[in-house]
Amino acid sequence: MKRYDLIVVGAGPAGLSAASEAASLGLGVAVFDENAKPGGQLFKQIHKFFGSKEHKAKMRGTAIGAELLDEAQRLGVEVFLNSPVVGLYDNREVLVRQGDAVQHYKGDGVIVATGANENILAFEGWTLPGVMGAGAAQTMMNINRVMPGKNILMLGSGNVGLVVGFQLLQAGSKLAAVVDAAPYIGGYGVHAAKIARTGVPFFLSHTIVKAEGIDRVTGAVIAQVDEKWNVIPGTEKSFEVDTICVAVGLSSSVELLKMAGCEMKKDGLGVIPIIDDDGETSVWGVFAAGDVSGIEEASAAMIEGRLSGLAAAGKLGFVGPEALKNRKEELLSALEGLRDGMFAPKNRGKSQDSTSEGLPVSKCLLANGFLDDSETFSYPGVKSVPGLHPVIECTQNIPCNPCQDACPKGCIKVEGKIIALPVFDEKSKCSGCGLCVASCSGQAIFLVNEDLGDGKAAVTIPYELLPLPAKGAVGTALGRSGAPLCPAVVTEVKLIGAFDHTALMTFTVPSKFAMTARFWKNEVPA
Amino acid sequence: MSETSDVLIIGAGAIGSAAAYYLAKRKISVTVLEKSEYIGNGGSSRNGGGVRQSGRHSAELPLAMYGVKNLWPNLSQELGLEVEYCQGGNLRLGKTEAHLKILQGLTANCVAGGLDMRMIDYREAKEICPYLSEEVIGASWCPTDGHANPLLTTLAFYRAARKLGARYVSGAEVDKLVKNKGRVTKAITADGTEYEFGQAIVVAGYDSGKILATVGLEVPMMPLLMEILVTEDAPRMFTQMLGTAMADFYGHQSTHGSFVFGGTHGFEPYAEYGETKLTSVGASSTCRGIIGYFPVLSDLKIVRTWSGWIDDCADHIPVMGNPKETPGLTIGCAFSGHGFGISPVAGLLLAQLATGQETALDVSRFSYDRFRAKV
Amino acid sequence: MTLERNRDFGDYVPAPDDDLVICRCEEVTKGEIRQAVRDGMFNVHEVRRLLRCGMGLCQGRTCAKLVKAIIARELNLPAPSLLDATARAPMRPVEMKVFANEKGL
Repeated sequence: MKRYDLIVVGAGPAGLSAASEAASLGLGVAVFDENAKPGGQLFKQIHKFFGSKEHKAKMRGTAIGAELLDEAQRLGVEVFLNSPVVGLYDNREVLVRQGDAVQHYKGDGVIVATGANENILAFEGWTLPGVMGAGAAQTMMNINRVMPGKNILMLGSGNVGLVVGFQLLQAGSKLAAVVDAAPYIGGYGVHAAKIARTGVPFFLSHTIVKAEGIDRVTGAVIAQVDEKWNVIPGTEKSFEVDTICVAVGLSSSVELLKMAGCEMKKDGLGVIPIIDDDGETSVWGVFAAGDVSGIEEASAAMIEGRLSGLAAAGKLGFVGPEALKNRKEELLSALEGLRDGMFAPKNRGKSQDSTSEGLPVSKCLLANGFLDDSETFSYPGVKSVPGLHPVIECTQNIPCNPCQDACPKGCIKVEGKIIALPVFDEKSKCSGCGLCVASCSGQAIFLVNEDLGDGKAAVTIPYELLPLPAKGAVGTALGRSGAPLCPAVVTEVKLIGAFDHTALMTFTVPSKFAMTARFWKNEVPA
Repeated sequence: MSETSDVLIIGAGAIGSAAAYYLAKRKISVTVLEKSEYIGNGGSSRNGGGVRQSGRHSAELPLAMYGVKNLWPNLSQELGLEVEYCQGGNLRLGKTEAHLKILQGLTANCVAGGLDMRMIDYREAKEICPYLSEEVIGASWCPTDGHANPLLTTLAFYRAARKLGARYVSGAEVDKLVKNKGRVTKAITADGTEYEFGQAIVVAGYDSGKILATVGLEVPMMPLLMEILVTEDAPRMFTQMLGTAMADFYGHQSTHGSFVFGGTHGFEPYAEYGETKLTSVGASSTCRGIIGYFPVLSDLKIVRTWSGWIDDCADHIPVMGNPKETPGLTIGCAFSGHGFGISPVAGLLLAQLATGQETALDVSRFSYDRFRAKV
Repeated sequence: MTLERNRDFGDYVPAPDDDLVICRCEEVTKGEIRQAVRDGMFNVHEVRRLLRCGMGLCQGRTCAKLVKAIIARELNLPAPSLLDATARAPMRPVEMKVFANEKGL
């Protein structure tokens, strides 16, 4: 039987990280993945990630995937694609389908990093073609370059719904609405805000009543729900859509772990493995890393993978106790930083009423997807000063700090923990380089010059839609809610390598709109 | 806590629930205790579904024939749930002269017991089942054999018994039986609950052994872990129960369209009792067996495999009866991997044994007393 | 967990969404699952064995949680108290000829 020091199941962020960590310590590592391409979900994550440098923050998922794959290959990890693992048997025997055969492999250690499946919602018409998981839609557009639909209703305002919703806009689809049965947005406010300001409405405390259509989706009906999740009659709203994306959470893909006899614990309606801080399960030498051990973000998955890879190396005698301890501490502290965030397991379900600084979280943001214009100045990133300055509309505890590193002038501080709200230091001098704007994975930083001298203001926004407008183009400035404010002329569109595909678009508006205009639409108001 | 019923049944498998059903039908108060969280968690839900008379031991043959004649044909109707009984016959295939010798021996035994069974040649076998490999040279054929859905049969007995008032408690593992003045009168479960009874039926598969041991009974059986595979559904192809002289595999196509096949790989006695894990080689070995006889199934996809424990008796036939040394106790265990096909009749007989009725068939050959040294 | 299997559910009250398909592989509806619970199928395993929901090509990856929630609601129990379905090889459907063709032993 072909034997490896370590077998990793799944070539996603956790699996590749685990493989590289172990290989860097001298283990012979094989990674099996059922897909034709490695990277798991990373290669469809075209957005920039949160985190700090050590978490590969502000890099796009695609680039992180490429980097991880590079690293694995450089370290001699054997990555087998089109190789679904059929079963995980006693003594870490792995049966893999490869071509027209099943191959038996044995790993001294096995790391299961199989990720998660999308949850589904059953409603009238849910089996019609056109109803699909948001992740499936994301695969269609970002991997296979196929538009999932032209007019789309997004069910679910968690991060998957918000991120995919925005990517659908980028792909050229229309997003009819984002709907969630909960009274508050489930994902990061900044992800919601970048959708809301394009004019997409959010319907919170709403659920889908039915998908309409005979042989495919032609429409959807939603309705408001009361606090017991029952539909309130008479509140129905209809949408003409051809696609309904379902983003109602993920379930860990634990089948292999269950089969291997790992002890599990309840996790919502499903189960996750019981693991120690190395990711080791109750079965000797079998580890779980990434979403399979509990749903988190890819940044956490990558560290979990490294922890498991390191632990496997320690278990098999490839690394001494001192080196093991030091590296483990380093990784755990990186993980700890991420896990202070609002979506970390320990904070799940906790009240989002206020930030760790004691500032109230905007109710308007939570209920509608955008900050109320009157609230912005209560956050430390938003200040009104003469001349050009950044406006940082970052109002929740996100484990993310690239804005601080991006600014060469020291205008932005993320002090203490990585989740702290960025503070704009009004005594500093903004050079207008725009690096902070492009570095913000939440697209929540703008450059504003509130008074150009002629009663006008210049607003620079991050812009990731195509086509980019030409300098001089006349369009409409939109407020945070997506409501049209006034005509706006594009004065500059800047896209340099350091911006990593986030264009900086500057438009001018009357000064009174300087602190409210946050989007530009290529349409002239009627 | 103490609770009382006329009959306490330990084990909610197909046979335990069949007994419960036949008792409840006679308005006898019955309590059924099931160790696991699930009804039919043991061999009852984990078998190939054969309702077979052919190839049976001469002691078991009358039971199998009784069931096929009197119980199986109306079972769905009687229990109010379709159990997918299909009397498509049994083809047992051979590829060599040595195979045919085995089949001839089995056939002779069954014919002596009065079963309609005969040897047929390749041509006739091919007429019955057109998908056979050309390597087959002959077969034994029993037209009145068939198969049913073990999951549904087990649940149908449970459902019907429950509707008639049989009380079921799952997650209730019996720790021990207790005698009072020479009579077994009480079972105590792991959580300390005491169940008193007029008569108890121990029908708990291999676990029967340790329960019976608490009142000094010893049944010579060993646990074997058997594996089964299930395919995606295919258009209707076979109605027969299929097997081979060498027992490479056995199985049938279910009403749903999926094939259910079992097979042996040699590691059956070495699994750790209690878990139902799979070997990494079992499904492969069964697949090779199947393809060797039915190449047409090569492209069919397997969607699931599973395993279940057999309580294999030293002489490979069950123990059923009321041991003299334990008044108050009826035993039904050690069905040795062929209990499902006779589950309705075994349930009926156990119900009769437990209530002192004359049994529909002679059960003396299944007596607990039969185990004696051979020399 | 010790579970008494005999309980009075009262009369079946049809729900407007009883004909909603829950398991799309095997086309099992919500109403069928509700009825099965009342017939004594108290967990995912029993409902699955009775109705085949979760026995199709996807092996319950899609519907398992939905089925669990319906059972729990009918039994008036919190859903996490219901045991999960078992996972078995093969994790993806595999043709017999491929399974038969073992390598690396």
